[in-house]
Amino acid sequence: MADSKKPRAPFAPWDRRELPGAFSVEETAARVGQYKWIEMKLFEALGGWVATVPELDIKMRLGTHCYHHAWHADLWHKRLPELREMNPERLTGPASPEVEAFMDAVAEPGEHDQTIEKLVGVYRVLIPHKVAAYTYHLNNTSTITDAPTIRSLKFALQDEMEDWRDGTLMLTSLIQSDEEVQRAADHQAKLEKLLVAAGGICGPGTIGDAYDLSGDPARLTVA
Amino acid sequence: MKKLLTPEELARDDRFERADMMDRIQDPRNGSEAANRGNGRLRPDRADAPDAARALMHGIFVGEIQALEGAGRTCYDFEVGATGKLDDEEVPFELKLDMARQCWDEARHCEISVKLSEWMGTEIGEFGENAFLFQAACNPDPVLRLTGVNRALEGLAIDVFNTMKEFGDLAGDPVLEFCEDWMLADEVTHVKMGSDWLRKLTVNDKDRQKRALEFQRVVDKLFSFGGFRGEDEESPVHLARRFRELAGFDDAEMEEIAELSREAKSEVEERSRLAREANETASA
Repeated sequence: MADSKKPRAPFAPWDRRELPGAFSVEETAARVGQYKWIEMKLFEALGGWVATVPELDIKMRLGTHCYHHAWHADLWHKRLPELREMNPERLTGPASPEVEAFMDAVAEPGEHDQTIEKLVGVYRVLIPHKVAAYTYHLNNTSTITDAPTIRSLKFALQDEMEDWRDGTLMLTSLIQSDEEVQRAADHQAKLEKLLVAAGGICGPGTIGDAYDLSGDPARLTVA
Repeated sequence: MKKLLTPEELARDDRFERADMMDRIQDPRNGSEAANRGNGRLRPDRADAPDAARALMHGIFVGEIQALEGAGRTCYDFEVGATGKLDDEEVPFELKLDMARQCWDEARHCEISVKLSEWMGTEIGEFGENAFLFQAACNPDPVLRLTGVNRALEGLAIDVFNTMKEFGDLAGDPVLEFCEDWMLADEVTHVKMGSDWLRKLTVNDKDRQKRALEFQRVVDKLFSFGGFRGEDEESPVHLARRFRELAGFDDAEMEEIAELSREAKSEVEERSRLAREANETASA
């Protein structure tokens, strides 16, 4: 065994985490509050839909997914006071009225024969956009100072990916005719347009700006 | 999506058959003794035990679907209010989290029940479904709804699962016993949630607490099914006192449920007697 008193590097050769990050404490709290609101609206809709879906396997699956998103909402709720927001309700809300309109449209289908629309809204539109927003956040926040958010993002992303796959399987099994293909595509297009108008689930900048040539945003925050 | 659904609006596929309460109770496949109002504890040595057990398992399955739907609707029907300043139609964020957790648990119970139904030789739709369990989840006051669903309905689930667990043990069916024990653990959690939220949300509103407990009494009496659930030896489903205690019921509350069951049984017997007399008079 090596001499225990022999000095070692504080960051071992395999540990390449760095200090810079794209988000301040306030910006992180704002995003986390928006995540919490979206997860809340999603688990409420999934719970409400359970009674309105006649397909038994889908009914049970939505009940399971409902809890996944409630748990994410709770993770974000508990993160807010750690980001100096002692009144979590204050930051729990949509990024803009356009985002609110989008989430209202996702939750709108309530009839028994609208399972396709319900699943399209969640598994073709909302969850892919959540995966995008969470991944952007994960890849741009400080891997040292914001490690607690990163841990929650990774937990949430694991659920999102698995639920996305479940949703895709359910939708694939439901869509069996040209007319149903069109229904799904029309509803997806309607929701995607609302999201474009909103600038993303957290408003403009949800996944940064791919046309910004000024440099790596994570580097810019540490002058 | 609209708020506050009625039992008639619950979505089902074509296999499910709706039945009213009397049709469901008087289904002769519940066991000939039960159909004749003799009832009798569910025991493997009864000649009609296989049919009675299958009917009960199918009832558990559709009950779990309705419990799943009820918990889901409670996630959706009410707005989240600020802690300490709740309107009567609002709930705390944490209550919704509990209901979402219950959704997951009930979804698993549906999965378990449908597999156990196959295991026991029945299939979806072989018995009728009565949607009265969901009725408790239609109350527009969240405190009354939680009390009706989590203390009365889920309390009934404790009694039923304990009965099925004992039946699995007596019948030498370790799969049934194993699954029922796991579901029983979840139900104790759900009843405790109901007890805790009732206490928290009515700590400064004794009138609302009184109304909630009155609603629970109504639901408990309804869920006694005329003595089907009770403490008499002939009751097929017995009060599971030990597990109810874990879930926050005290002795007085359990005694009250036992008394409600006796009342419900007497009322059914009286109605049956009057019906018999009316028939005899008509045929004389």
